[in-house]
Amino acid sequence: MNRRGGLATAAMVLPATVLYTVMLIVPVGLAIYLSLTDWDGYSADPAFVGGENYGEVFADPQFQQAAFVTLLAALAGTVAMNLLGLGFAVLVSRTSRVNSALRMVLFYPHVLSALVVGFLWGAILGTNGAINSFLTSRGAEVLPFLSDPDWATVTLIAVLVWAGFGVNTVLYVAGLQTVPQSLLEAARIDGASKWQTFRHVTLPAIAPVVTVNLVLSLITLLKTYDLVVSLTAGGPAGQTQTLAYLILWNSFHDGRLGFGSAQSVVLMVVTAALALIVTKLRRKADQGAAA
Amino acid sequence: MRELATESSVLTVDTAPPAPVLAPPPADTPATARPRPGSPPRRVLRWALIAVVAIVMLTPLYLLVLNAFKDQQDILASPFGFSGGLTVDHLVQAWSNPRFNIAKGYAITILFVVLVNVFSVFLAGPVAYVIARSTRRRFRVLMLFFLAGTFIPSQVLVIPVVYVLKTLGLMGTIPGYVMFETTLTLPFSIFLYAGYIRTVPTDIDQAAAIDGCGRYRTFWQIVFPLMRPVVATMVILNTFSVWNDFVNPQTILGPSSGLYTVTTGIYAAVGQYQTDYTVVFPTLLLAIAPLLVFFVIMQRHIISGLTAGSTKG
Repeated sequence: MNRRGGLATAAMVLPATVLYTVMLIVPVGLAIYLSLTDWDGYSADPAFVGGENYGEVFADPQFQQAAFVTLLAALAGTVAMNLLGLGFAVLVSRTSRVNSALRMVLFYPHVLSALVVGFLWGAILGTNGAINSFLTSRGAEVLPFLSDPDWATVTLIAVLVWAGFGVNTVLYVAGLQTVPQSLLEAARIDGASKWQTFRHVTLPAIAPVVTVNLVLSLITLLKTYDLVVSLTAGGPAGQTQTLAYLILWNSFHDGRLGFGSAQSVVLMVVTAALALIVTKLRRKADQGAAA
Repeated sequence: MRELATESSVLTVDTAPPAPVLAPPPADTPATARPRPGSPPRRVLRWALIAVVAIVMLTPLYLLVLNAFKDQQDILASPFGFSGGLTVDHLVQAWSNPRFNIAKGYAITILFVVLVNVFSVFLAGPVAYVIARSTRRRFRVLMLFFLAGTFIPSQVLVIPVVYVLKTLGLMGTIPGYVMFETTLTLPFSIFLYAGYIRTVPTDIDQAAAIDGCGRYRTFWQIVFPLMRPVVATMVILNTFSVWNDFVNPQTILGPSSGLYTVTTGIYAAVGQYQTDYTVVFPTLLLAIAPLLVFFVIMQRHIISGLTAGSTKG
């Protein structure tokens, strides 16, 4: 390569590489470094405190509660979103005008931000919300959708599923449309029932799509933040805080960014571990589809 | 959506060839084209299920639109219908809310969406081209270096990015925010673009070189115009992730900067006033109406773009 060519290449490669390094790679290293300090967000020279933050993180009952809520939401939500997503994908996968309208109806919450979804459902499920106003006007008891800790946790998960399963549906529809017609036809000629065809032909054929969906839902749910802000604000009594909510609260409300960094490093490790476990568990199914 | 796309991309690497983003439909007739109406009871069940889910999905939207035109008393008395008259007063008030100027919020968000998309294409395109066209080891390593970024959840980065931006003196500024949002789009964009460029024959590069075209010009004038489908996919993905982002504008721009996007503006307008439904419903309606209209018009492109982005990657 001549010198001019080398310069041109550098001009093409360097801007993105430098920006990426400064804004993404350096921060990952910084997150780990800051988690070992007591940085408050202002001081230029935070004190090094070693593993102190991590000790405090794991002993913190708020962290334990948030970890519980986050994992519950991630696991229950992933199962629900994928069962609903796959189920409705089968229902609406045929190409027709009605079906494409239905896909749009299932998918539209994704277009609204999670913040809007949370405020909207808050106005529907709150103590004076639409449903409770309706119930009291009929002389019935108010339901504590958001005012009881257990109810609020279930409500949070339900709204997450409501807002998210349309994305799974759309991805599953795309997967179903790639299953070769000849395979399904062969199964039918061999006398397989609809369920048998689905279980033994369709499902193995879309195995990679299932894996993508599972990991996607899991990762998205592990980061739940906006919806907590707008739907429950972490309440009642901090019982529905998720890890992402707690991290940002500790960091920017309490000014403990070192402590928050330690929590986010834990979240990063947990996310990576769960994603790897799911991928590993699904490997056999994926390879079956590739073969 | 950014995460949606990026994470899946990593996982499908070994199962699906990454190359063509908008691949031609499979030669086989799609499974879905089969005309089989099903037995009558099955059909009834199917329609019942569809009716239930449509009601569950659309009721919030119905309540939002209806109650945006009602007084607080009427909302509380009959949330699903209306006993008093309908009024546009609260919509007018929401439009002129001093805490959140909706028109300005839209303008700022659209500005951010445009800036991030433009910078993303200008930065990711050339790198992807060099990576796709080079057989050198160092560029393969560079691809892996960028791919590593798709594994990192952006929430984890917020705190250290604040540190970096403060050091650079860019905290609370538009350049700082746009730089970070653009960076978040780079890994997956480069991955998708490079995969696509590999499907473009190298003959045209060589022809351009023979005609005395430099590498930079070859990319922008010859190769880039062929990348329209993959760029469209990426623009859709990035538009959604920037539009719906709440954490990053809230922390990087912050309330003190006076710069509200649609999401941080909604938070400022509604966050403290969640029990005043004459604020909640009209504000939310005004904030989402243009986006919903856009979605309904563009839904085929949006859904297929998102699907392509996350399954073909």
